[in-house]
Amino acid sequence: MIKIENLEKVYKTEEIETTALNGINLHVKEGEFVSIMGPSGCGKSTLLNVMGLLDKPESGSYKFIETELLTLNDRERSNFRKRNMGFVFQNFNLIDELTVFENIELPLIYNKVPAGERKKLVNEIIGRMNIVNRSGHFPQQLSGGQQQRVAVARALVTKPKLVLADEPTGNLDSTHGNEVMELLCELNETGTTIVMVTHSSHDASFSNRIINLKDGHVISEKINKGRTEELI
Amino acid sequence: MFKLNLKIALRNLWKYKGYTSINVFGLAIGLASCILIFIFVRYQLSFDKDYANGDRIYRMVTSWKYADGNEFYSQGVPLPLPAAVRNDFSQFEKVAAIQQSSGIVKAKALPGKAEVKKSESIYYAEPSFFEIFDYKWLAGNPNQSLTAPNTVVLSEKAANTYFGDWRKAIGNTLILDNKTDFKVTGIIKDNPQNSSFPLEIIFSYVSFNSKNSKDWGSVSSSWECYVLLKKGVLLSELDKPIQQFLNKYENDKDASGKVGHTVQPLKTIHHNDNYGNFANKYMPYKQIIGLVIIGLFLLLTACINFINLATAQAISRSKEVGVRKVMGSRRKQLIWQFLSETALITFIALLLACVLSELTLPKMENLFGGDVTFSLFGHPIIFVFLLVMLVVVSFLAGLYPALIMSGFSPALAIKNKVTANAGGVGLRKTLVVVQFAITAILIIGTLVVIKQMSFIRNKSLGFDTQAISLVSLPQDSLSKLKYNGFKERLSGIKGVKNISFCSAAPSSDSNNETSFTYNSSKRVDFQANVKAVDEAYFKTFGLQLIAGRPIAKSDTIKEFVVNETLIKKLNVKNPNEAIGKIMTLWGGKGPIVGVVKDFNNYSLHEKIAPMAMFSRKSNYRGIAIKLDVADIGNTMKQVESTFNTMFPDYVYENEFFDENLKGFYETEQIMGTLFKVFASVVIFISFIGLFGLISFVATQRTKEIAIRKVLGASNLELIKMLNNSFLWMVLIANMVAWPVAYIFVKNWLAGFEYRIDLSIWPFIFAMLISMSITIITVTLRSYRAAKANTIDALKYE
Ligand SMILES: Nc1ncnc2c1ncn2[C@@H]1O[C@H](COP(=O)(O)OP(=O)(O)O)[C@@H](O)[C@H]1O
Ligand SMILES: [Mg+2]
Repeated sequence: MIKIENLEKVYKTEEIETTALNGINLHVKEGEFVSIMGPSGCGKSTLLNVMGLLDKPESGSYKFIETELLTLNDRERSNFRKRNMGFVFQNFNLIDELTVFENIELPLIYNKVPAGERKKLVNEIIGRMNIVNRSGHFPQQLSGGQQQRVAVARALVTKPKLVLADEPTGNLDSTHGNEVMELLCELNETGTTIVMVTHSSHDASFSNRIINLKDGHVISEKINKGRTEELI
Repeated sequence: MFKLNLKIALRNLWKYKGYTSINVFGLAIGLASCILIFIFVRYQLSFDKDYANGDRIYRMVTSWKYADGNEFYSQGVPLPLPAAVRNDFSQFEKVAAIQQSSGIVKAKALPGKAEVKKSESIYYAEPSFFEIFDYKWLAGNPNQSLTAPNTVVLSEKAANTYFGDWRKAIGNTLILDNKTDFKVTGIIKDNPQNSSFPLEIIFSYVSFNSKNSKDWGSVSSSWECYVLLKKGVLLSELDKPIQQFLNKYENDKDASGKVGHTVQPLKTIHHNDNYGNFANKYMPYKQIIGLVIIGLFLLLTACINFINLATAQAISRSKEVGVRKVMGSRRKQLIWQFLSETALITFIALLLACVLSELTLPKMENLFGGDVTFSLFGHPIIFVFLLVMLVVVSFLAGLYPALIMSGFSPALAIKNKVTANAGGVGLRKTLVVVQFAITAILIIGTLVVIKQMSFIRNKSLGFDTQAISLVSLPQDSLSKLKYNGFKERLSGIKGVKNISFCSAAPSSDSNNETSFTYNSSKRVDFQANVKAVDEAYFKTFGLQLIAGRPIAKSDTIKEFVVNETLIKKLNVKNPNEAIGKIMTLWGGKGPIVGVVKDFNNYSLHEKIAPMAMFSRKSNYRGIAIKLDVADIGNTMKQVESTFNTMFPDYVYENEFFDENLKGFYETEQIMGTLFKVFASVVIFISFIGLFGLISFVATQRTKEIAIRKVLGASNLELIKMLNNSFLWMVLIANMVAWPVAYIFVKNWLAGFEYRIDLSIWPFIFAMLISMSITIITVTLRSYRAAKANTIDALKYE
């Protein structure tokens, strides 16, 4: 589904140029669950941001089911993103002024889903996430694990083809972390493609394939046999 | 400690340069406008205040009340009144008559000084005038200088013009109207600018022609009478004597049942627009109050800006507050610290404001056509005002943010956990609404003022004003003999269309009222405004007759033309009925031959008076010439040279009628301009405040904006979202503003007898203006926020 070739991204600040991505090649199949690992500063987040169309690389090609995404203009990128992608961040990034329900509803509003259907979809996913009695709360009133579940719910509510998760368990203890990982697995089993950045090999063990990054290069790839068979 | 606080304050100001400059700049133009308003208002309130007995000086004035509720006022009194008052009232210490007139004044050549000849405003005053008003005498004294016939007192300035040096003037001779010699017996110091008495040349009252007139039926605006109340006498003690006086002289006659005389305090002469004054400068209290309100609005908007930005910024200083509290600082100390920071900013703004107002003072002087000079520090009271402003603004703007900031809990503050709402979002929104409401009120006010002024400019007054020149004529009997010859010569000039002799133009500030009879020997119970005019007057000024014909050529009163108002007041329904009825006034008798369509004989502030017009050569003061627009310049040159050959001893004086009319609305012109300028300043201040606030809000919401973008919001959707909340505030503000503005505007318009109908459009328009400016401001700023880099905003804090 995703074909990334020779991706390069350079950050220019006043003093120095940092090559965050240095000729990345990456293919992701539909329904695959890919983990990206590597030391801090190796370009994992940058790669995820480029895949999520939040950032523009200097050169290379990024094809999403035959569509070249890097030549799109701002509006087309924004449209493509809201129809096809969902995001989960390490620091949840919920809007403090909106309730759980409203936070989850937001992407549907931007996708112009009618109000009645929105309500149905949000309630459905709130049920699945096991946060029913929290839907009127504000993010500050929830625990970290609950907040991240809300964030996952928000990423899923539009039924995206691709979910991008940047260290989704980074701010959680292991119990809550596992809950979130199980959610992602369930999601993957229903056919959603997932690309996840993580530092934890435990988390990575949930995925089909682990890609190791260093200094903006892919240095190794490992198939997770236990999981991949299911896919085939 | 103080030094340290100052350092922190200055570094903070520097750190938030953007907000600081918005604050300081907004505050500075607000304060500068207040300073200008203060200087203007101080000047207006200083009129006629410098007389030792000022609070006991009164002017006798005249009013006519009609059964239909109409009232007319005159600053003048009948000629015999001063003497009668002196005789009948024990409550007055002094009574003085003073008459305004005009004439050609000439001083013979002196060695080393050429002859000076000018057409001047002159006065005849009784010596007691100068006992009531304590002028400073450089030479002579009030008791001797004006007692004898043919004596004259000059102001220092006039003496210098006529004789080179006032010291040489004493004992020298001035010639009035080429006829009578007057000996200069006294010199008084010049009047200041803020005086209703522009006295330059004052002749002794005993030299006044009509000094012995016994005519109680006529009043002219140039016949004034001043009295000095005895010490300890209350105004209420005058009620009865005045009534007795009226019964004795005015009310026992059949004609003047409604005439009233009252005393008007000296200090209101500059402010009461019912009556005029010699200086023709006046400024009603209403207008002054209007300006003061705008000043308060200005201060308020500037302070609101300050409060908004300071509280919005407060969160970023929460850590400093926390640390200080941990180190043992008490809340009171913190409040003082923040207040002194505000005072520092206000002080900087005040310095800037002084510079700004110094730069704009000349512009304000221009409004007065150069008659007035203002200086920033000319009156020490300004320092008191500046100090008061410093204190008031510091407290008004600084107290609330200081309370908020000093109230932070140290535990939360140190951990930077004070939420964005700490500054009181609700209050901030309320303040913005107040600010926008003020803005909307002023936009509405400005629109209505502009509309009314252009209405006045364009209103058909009922007569022609274009290309009519008014040339003054010499008044002596010898010159009067040459009038007809002059007219004949003028008609020979190419470009002259019509010529008319008259006592005044149709609309003029010199007015005469008199009692009269209509179709009976009994006097009518109201007075008529009279004009002496010749047969060509109606054609020259384009006046329309609705019945009959213009008066025929004559040098004395033979026939009358009256206006619609007069016959309506007499209950004559059909104008044709009035034709042929006999009238008497001013000792003349004759039939009414025409009824003229009503035209505005006063300014549009006042109703049209009942009028009678007739020919009477002895009252013609000037000649009105209707010109061909094609070559006015050339024609007027020929008119001037004709005048100079016909009347070589006189001074040619010419005024265009339309220019002359503008003078009626000078006060409105000045106030209109001030209103427009200061209203724009308020509008400007509140919008830079808005810009500051939206910048802050955008910064605060950066993360939210980024999240929304990730979730698929387009830039347009984000801009819309940010606009929305502000547009609501603007909408509410407009709803608040409408009723308030309606009351203000209605009141102001009520001062005009002829005014525009108040429509909904200024209100709608104000809303559209404020909405579109908001949209522009918010869009500009939020576009930047929406475009900002999403990923940076989402990085971990
Ligand atoms: N906005 C930026 N400006 C400059 N350099 C950046 C920016 N974002 C990331 N970098 C640099 O790019 C490199 C890769 O960063 P990132 O993708 O965030 O690493 P990580 O693998 O830890 O997620 C790092 O060296 C980082 O310092
Ligand atoms: Mg990272």
